[in-house]
Amino acid sequence: MTSGQPPAQKRPLVIGIDLGTTNSLAAIRAGRGARVLRDQHAQALIPSVCCWLPDGSTIVGAEAKALRLQHPDRTVFSIKRLIGRSGQEVQAEAAQLPYRVEIADRGLPRVRIGDRTFSPEEISALILRQVKATAEQALGQSVQQAVITVPAWFDDAQRHATKDAATLAGLDCLRIVNEPTAAALAYGIDGSKDGTALVYDLGGGTFDVSILRIEAGVFRVLATAGDTHLGGDDFDQLLGERILAALRGRTGAVDASNPYVLQAIRGAAEGLKIRLSEADTASLQLDLGEHGHADVTVTRAEFEAAIAPLVERTIACVQRAVRDAGLQLTGLDDIVLVGGSTRVPLVRRRLHELTGKAPHTGVDPDLAVALGAAIQADVLAGNDRSLLLLDVIPLSLGLLTFGGAVQKLILRNSTIPTSVTEEFSTAVDNQTAVELTVYQGERELAQDNRRLGSFHLRGIPPMPAGLPRIAVTFLVDADGVLRVTAREKRTGVEAAIVIVPSFGLTRDEVRQMMLDSIEHAQADYLAREAIDLRNKATAMVTGTRKAMALAELPPDQTYAVHKAVKALDKLLAANADPAALKAGCEELTRVTATIADDVISSAVAKALRTETGGPAT
Amino acid sequence: MTIAPPPDPFAVFGVEHTLDLDARTLERRYLELSRGCHPDLHRATDTDDCLAVLQRSAEINDAWRVLRDPWERARALLELRSPGVLDREKKLDPAFLAQALELAEEVAFVDATQAPALRERLEHELAADLLAVRDALGAADVGLAARRFHAAKYHRKALLDLDSKT
Repeated sequence: MTSGQPPAQKRPLVIGIDLGTTNSLAAIRAGRGARVLRDQHAQALIPSVCCWLPDGSTIVGAEAKALRLQHPDRTVFSIKRLIGRSGQEVQAEAAQLPYRVEIADRGLPRVRIGDRTFSPEEISALILRQVKATAEQALGQSVQQAVITVPAWFDDAQRHATKDAATLAGLDCLRIVNEPTAAALAYGIDGSKDGTALVYDLGGGTFDVSILRIEAGVFRVLATAGDTHLGGDDFDQLLGERILAALRGRTGAVDASNPYVLQAIRGAAEGLKIRLSEADTASLQLDLGEHGHADVTVTRAEFEAAIAPLVERTIACVQRAVRDAGLQLTGLDDIVLVGGSTRVPLVRRRLHELTGKAPHTGVDPDLAVALGAAIQADVLAGNDRSLLLLDVIPLSLGLLTFGGAVQKLILRNSTIPTSVTEEFSTAVDNQTAVELTVYQGERELAQDNRRLGSFHLRGIPPMPAGLPRIAVTFLVDADGVLRVTAREKRTGVEAAIVIVPSFGLTRDEVRQMMLDSIEHAQADYLAREAIDLRNKATAMVTGTRKAMALAELPPDQTYAVHKAVKALDKLLAANADPAALKAGCEELTRVTATIADDVISSAVAKALRTETGGPAT
Repeated sequence: MTIAPPPDPFAVFGVEHTLDLDARTLERRYLELSRGCHPDLHRATDTDDCLAVLQRSAEINDAWRVLRDPWERARALLELRSPGVLDREKKLDPAFLAQALELAEEVAFVDATQAPALRERLEHELAADLLAVRDALGAADVGLAARRFHAAKYHRKALLDLDSKT
C-alpha cells in the first residue's frame, strides 16, 4: 500500500508514457490512482506527428499536425507502424503515405525529408522528447526515467527499437509494458475486485487483446493475441478510398499520389469516422483547390459494412486469446475497452454480442494506457510493493534447424521472465564458432516467421568435432526482450556472442545516432540563431531609418547613427556570418543608446516589435 | 541439439515430489514466490535488471508451467526418479495401439451429437491414466509409469483433435 505521505527520501521520478501510433502522452502516479500530464493549453494528447520545416528546424505534436497540409511531404505520422520492421514489410503501406519511405542499408526503412533521411527510431525519439518536455513542464522538474508501453503483440525487434528510441530521446526506459496490461492496471487499481478481465485495445495502428486474472494485487496475463497491423488508421483508409473515388479534378485528372491530396484525404476521413460514431450519416465537402473537390455522404450502415471484415479479424483474435487462456467466453468477469477506435459503435456492439457483457467505459480509452504505465512506473520506482504484473511473451521463439524448419524454444503465452538452456556442439574438428539463427512466430517453417537475427558463438576451445558442449541460455526478460548467453561446459569458457539483428539498429548505430543527435541539436540551434539574428538586424535597420526620419538630431549624432545603419545594412546584403551581424547590431545599439532623445529608442523598439512579432506593415 | 534439463521444479517451489499437489495451494505458492523475486519489485540500482534476479524469476515461471499441468508434472517426476526412463520405456502393447488407432478413427468421424459423450469418455480415460501413473510411481515401478504416460498421450491427442473439430 502507498501511504499518502511523501516518502522521507526523495526517489527519482518515473513517468509512464503511452507512445501511440496517433497520439502520445505521459502520466504520473497520484495517490491511489494516476493523473495525465498536460501542457500549458491543458492538452494531454500529443499528436505523434513530426514536421521538418524547410529551414531545418523540427516541430512535434499539435503544431506539426496543423502543418501537414502546408508541408505534406515533410510531415511524418504513424511512425509506429514502421518501427522495428523491414523495408520490404512496410512497402505496401509506405505507398499510401504522403511522406517518402526508402529502403536503406540492411533493408531497413528510412524516411526521407529533403536531403536527409531518418530511421523510425529517430522519429519516435523526437516524439518521446516532446512527451518528456511536456512532462517536465507539468511537473516542474526534470525527468530521466520512464515506463513505455508497446502493443502486446510487438515482437522482439519492435520492442528493441522502442527501447532504442527512448535511449535516443535521453530517457532511461525502466520497463516496456504491454498496452492492454497497463490499461488493466488503470481499471483494476483499487485491487478490491478479483476476477478475470478481457482487455480489448484497438488503437490507431495496432490491435491487442489480453486476458488477465487479477488476484490479491497480482495482475497475471493468461494469454494475449493481436495484430500489429490493424487499427483506426485502416478505418480511415477505407473512408479515404470513398473520398478519393468522389474526388473530381478541375481539369479532370486527380493525382492520387500527391502528398497534399493524401494528407488532406487522411484528415477528412478521420473527421468523417469520428462523426459517424455519433451520427447515422455524415457528409463532407472537401475543396482541394487545383487538386479538385469532393462531395461525399456516408451512412453509418455503409461505414460498418466496409469495416466489418476488419472488426471480425479482431473478434477472431479475441476467440483465440480466450481459448489460449483455457477459458470460455462466458467465464469472463469484465470487458475493458482501450484505444480511441473502440468508440466505433460496431466494435462495442460486436464485443457485447460475443461475450454477453456490456464493456466498461469508465476510464477514457485514450488515457487508460498511460495511466496504467504510471502506476507500473511507481512500482518500479520502489514506492508501491502491493502490485505485481506478470506478463507473457506474445509469440513463440525458436531456432533454425536443418532443412529450414524452426524448433520452438519458448512457447507463446509463457510468463516472462522465462528461460531455456540448449546444448550445442561442433560439426568439424577444431571448429571455434557456431552460428544460431533465432526466429519469432508460430509457423513451422523459418521462412514464414520473422528472423530476429543471428548469434555467433565465438571463442570455442578447439576440440575434436562433437566434443565441445556449449550450453546456450535463451532468456526472455521482463520487457519481453531476448537475451542470450553461452558457455562451453567442459572448459567453462564463456563463449562470446555477437548479435546481428535482422531489424532495427545495431548497438554501434545507436551510439552513432546519440552522437549525431547532439551534433545536430547544436547545428539546428545555430541555424535557428542565425535566422533570428538576421531578422533582428533587418528590423533594426528599417526601424532606425524610420526613426531618423522623424527625429531632429545634432549633425554629429546623425552621422554616427547613419554610419552604423549603413554598416549593418552592408553586412546583411553581403550575407555576413552571425558573429559579424551580431557585432553590427551591437554597434548600432551602442550609437543609438547615447542619444538623449528617447524618440529614437522608442521608435526602434516599436519597429522591432512589428518586424519580429507580427506581419510587417 | 539437446535440451538441457531445467532445474527440479518441485525443489524450486519447495513442495514434495508427488503428483498429488493441490492446484489452489500451488497457485498461491506461485504468486508468493513471484512477489519474492520478480524484477519489478527487486530492481537493481542500475537501470538494467540484474541477471541473477531475472534467472531466479524465470526459474519460478518455468517451474510453474510444469507443475500446474498434471501431465507436465508427471513427466518431470518420472525424469527425476529415473533420468531417461521416458526414452527407454517407449514400447507399448500392440493391443493397446490397435485400440488407440480405433479411437483416432472414431474421433475423425464423430458427429456433433456423439461428440459430448466421446469427450466424457476420453476425459475419463485420461483420469484413469493419471491415477495409474501415480500408483505405479507409488509402487516404485517407474517403467510401468513411463509406459502408461506414453499411452496417455494417445488419449490426450484424441481429446485435442476432438476439440479442434468442434
